[in-house]
Amino acid sequence: MKAIVSVREAVKNYILGNVVVPALRGVTLDVVEGDFLAIAGPSGSGKTTLLNLIGCVDTPTSGTVEVAGKDTRQLSERELTDLRLHTIGFIFQSFNLVSVLTVFQNIELPLLLQRKLNGPERAQRVAALLERVGLREYGAHRPSELSGGQRQRVAIARALVTRPQLVLADEPTANLDSVTGAHILDLMRELNRTEKTTFIFSTHDQSVMAHANAVVRLADGKLVDRVTPAQAAAETGLPA
Amino acid sequence: MRAWLATLGVVAQIAFRNLFASRLKTIIVGGIIFFGGLLVVAGNSLLDSVVASMSRSVIGSVAGHIQVYNAKSKDTLEVMGRMMMGDPDLSQLDDFAKVRASLLKVENVKSVVPMGISGALVTSGNTIDLALEKLRNAVNARRDAKTDGERAQAELQVASEKGHVRQIVSVLQGDLKNAKAVLDERTIDPADGAAVNRAASDAFWQDFDKEPFEALEFLENRIASQAADADLLFLNYIGTDFQAFQKSFDRMKIVEGTMVPAGKRGFLFAKHVYEEQLKLKAARRLDQIKEGTENEGETIATDPDLKRMVRENVSQVREILLQLDAAKTVDFRAKLQRELASQETDVGKLLAAFFQTDDHNFRGRHDFFYKELAPSLELYRVRIGDVLTIKAFTRSGYVQSVNVPVYGTFEFQGLEKSTLAGALNLMDMVSFRELYGFMSGEKLAEIQALQKAAGAHDVSRENAEAELFGSKATDAPAAKAPRRIEATTTPGVAPVMHDLGESLGGKLQREEARSRVFPSDEVERGVVLNAAVILKNPKKIKETIVAIEAQGKQDGLTLKAIDWQAAAGLIGQFVNVIRIVLYVAILIIFLIALVIINNALVMATLERVKEIGTLRAIGAQRRFILAMLVVESIVVGFIFGGLGAGLGVLLVTVVGKIGIPAKSDVWFFFFSGPRLYPFIGTSNIVAAFAIVLLVSAFSSFYPAWIAMRVTPRQAMQEEE
Ligand SMILES: Nc1ncnc2c1ncn2[C@@H]1O[C@H](COP(=O)(O)OP(=O)(O)OP(=O)(O)O)[C@@H](O)[C@H]1O
Ligand SMILES: [Mg+2]
Repeated sequence: MKAIVSVREAVKNYILGNVVVPALRGVTLDVVEGDFLAIAGPSGSGKTTLLNLIGCVDTPTSGTVEVAGKDTRQLSERELTDLRLHTIGFIFQSFNLVSVLTVFQNIELPLLLQRKLNGPERAQRVAALLERVGLREYGAHRPSELSGGQRQRVAIARALVTRPQLVLADEPTANLDSVTGAHILDLMRELNRTEKTTFIFSTHDQSVMAHANAVVRLADGKLVDRVTPAQAAAETGLPA
Repeated sequence: MRAWLATLGVVAQIAFRNLFASRLKTIIVGGIIFFGGLLVVAGNSLLDSVVASMSRSVIGSVAGHIQVYNAKSKDTLEVMGRMMMGDPDLSQLDDFAKVRASLLKVENVKSVVPMGISGALVTSGNTIDLALEKLRNAVNARRDAKTDGERAQAELQVASEKGHVRQIVSVLQGDLKNAKAVLDERTIDPADGAAVNRAASDAFWQDFDKEPFEALEFLENRIASQAADADLLFLNYIGTDFQAFQKSFDRMKIVEGTMVPAGKRGFLFAKHVYEEQLKLKAARRLDQIKEGTENEGETIATDPDLKRMVRENVSQVREILLQLDAAKTVDFRAKLQRELASQETDVGKLLAAFFQTDDHNFRGRHDFFYKELAPSLELYRVRIGDVLTIKAFTRSGYVQSVNVPVYGTFEFQGLEKSTLAGALNLMDMVSFRELYGFMSGEKLAEIQALQKAAGAHDVSRENAEAELFGSKATDAPAAKAPRRIEATTTPGVAPVMHDLGESLGGKLQREEARSRVFPSDEVERGVVLNAAVILKNPKKIKETIVAIEAQGKQDGLTLKAIDWQAAAGLIGQFVNVIRIVLYVAILIIFLIALVIINNALVMATLERVKEIGTLRAIGAQRRFILAMLVVESIVVGFIFGGLGAGLGVLLVTVVGKIGIPAKSDVWFFFFSGPRLYPFIGTSNIVAAFAIVLLVSAFSSFYPAWIAMRVTPRQAMQEEE
């Protein structure tokens, strides 16, 4: 299968004053289309940094990151933005809905930015997704009127509304209780299956990792290994 | 395209919702912009209205739409608001007829009025001089009496005039006593005191008839100088063609007397000057107190100005006392005693008590004054019908004097109360030219006659002037009953007031001043300093100025044309000054607004970093973020600026219906009448929007810059 993401020897250094903080120290990783990949690792290991490189939010200090066949280091800021708009969906740890817009408008927003579909087409697509994430009745609500789990479902719908090839989620369940978190993962997994969308998400949580096809483990800015969720669970001695 | 509109829609939607979400910010920013819009619209409209009405005042009272003068002049022409500083150095326009012909070739020119503006310092009727003049005339009449009847009548006249002069002397004696009480005795010239005491003595008056001329000389030389009660008075005048002036400035109307007939010498007082400067001061103050209490709703008890006027009337009764001869003194005493129910016999004290008015008795006293006392008094120092002798130093330095009969007073409709519009008196062009030192046809003829008589062929123009006018100035002949009032254009030079007996020459001159008719040619063909141009279409001033100057060049004239505002000098500048003040105020307000709005937007932007980061992360370009902020600012600008401008329009419209009352005489001029009716100019509304938009734009620069620098990564950062 084709690799949608291809990371080669990616190094990312942050400069804090005159101190260089190495966040990634040469990571190589391929993610194939339709994957449902978890990135695990202790705090500060570089999960967010890696997701940012894949999400075209940042570019590597050295090495290459290719997303949908494009080397992100070769792209301008504008092209990176376009790549995000058309190829990638984002799910954030704290949902990041636009508070002044309704649920419907929040989901519609990327379509408006894309300027591809007309009003009715957009409405249809948003309605379908609302149905899909179980929020058919909530289109006119404001995010503040929803629970955390509902908000994250809105965020998932927003991430998927442009039918991106790749959806990135940095600790999507960190702000949710475990039951709700499991529901969110179930939903993502289902969408992964039905829409063939590639998902990459980071987490500390073993039970969350259990939903993944594979777990990529990071430690201290380096990729340790790529294991099955069962293996990952076994090593920490927790049930999968 | 559709999608683009949809994006704009979402931008607008986010913008609108954000405005609602952060209401406080919106209200602060909006409030400032609202106030700014209001100020721009209301302030500018008000100012434009003032400019429009002031232009009517200036144009309608003297300037016309355009003033034309000689481009070779050293100074610029100012037809209004000039001070006593002397005349500007203007070159003459030699032949008015030619100038007018040239101007009338310009299509937009409707009419042309010849002008020259100058001023003279006038010393007007000194009461003791007049009393002495009357006494001298009576003595002369007695000497020349041919029949017993005439002699008896003259004798009575002499006795009456003697009484008046004695009265004045006794007032002087009183003054002297008062002065001794307050001043160091050494500061008073003992000779003066002795002279007054002598003139007040019974012996002096018993001996008067033995050597009347000697006695008169003593009085004139030793006493008159001490009783100087006349103020110097500066008269600004326009020399013009009365008929052309009246036709072109149709707001002009005659108040008292008549228009100066065509081709005659004559003088018209501006009604305001006549009231303000020539009226008996006590009477003028009574008028002003009446005006203040009845028309302006003030009270003597509370208004310091009115209070001051009452005080001055109480302390300055001397002006009236000096006018009273024996008979009038008796009459005033009786009337005042009755009116005040007083036993006081001193008329001075009675008058002081009479003028001690309050809000309660003022109206009664005012009416009593005009009904009972005023008929016995000279209310004006110059009466309609008097002949004014105006003396001027011509430009070549010789004293020139001209006799002009006062035909009446005039004012401009709607500008009755304006000092500015009422500052210029009118004089015939021929007299003006003579005073200014130009040759009139009449004078040229005289010079030619003089040259012939002297057989002198080499009398230059200057010498001729010296011979002719230099001598004339010193033997100023006088008229009898219309009085003569002398004037000189040089401040500080005492006018010659001796030889007040009626001479033959004087009589002739007076007669001539009244009856001589100039050929219209003489007014037309002569020299003028400037000319007022009235236009058919007043909107095309700028184009017409260019056309006039071009036409002048073609006709071999060096014409300089300026618009009414420039011609109005300081007054014209005044509007610019107000405009600058308004603009500076607007600028300051908007600078402050800029800072406040900027701060509010920066705060709002910082609060929205996460939202902006999210938008960037999910694919919004920077320009989308920029558009969002700009739309927010513009929406606030338009809505609140629009509301402010709307309120401004409403305010100006409502005030435009009611009118703003003119508080003081200056405002009568600026309002061109008693009330200003402001109107809305569309340009002001446009300006308001332009400024509001500019401020909105400028104040969003920094916040927008902050917003543009928000990275998508900031969407992922958790708040601490
Ligand atoms: N903007 C930044 N500037 C400087 N250093 C940074 C920045 N972002 C991350 N780092 C550093 O890079 C390293 C990797 O951080 P990263 O956020 O990728 O870890 P993480 O695995 O996501 O951790 P967590 O589980 O706590 O989210 C850390 O040492 C971190 O301190
Ligand atoms: Mg992280």
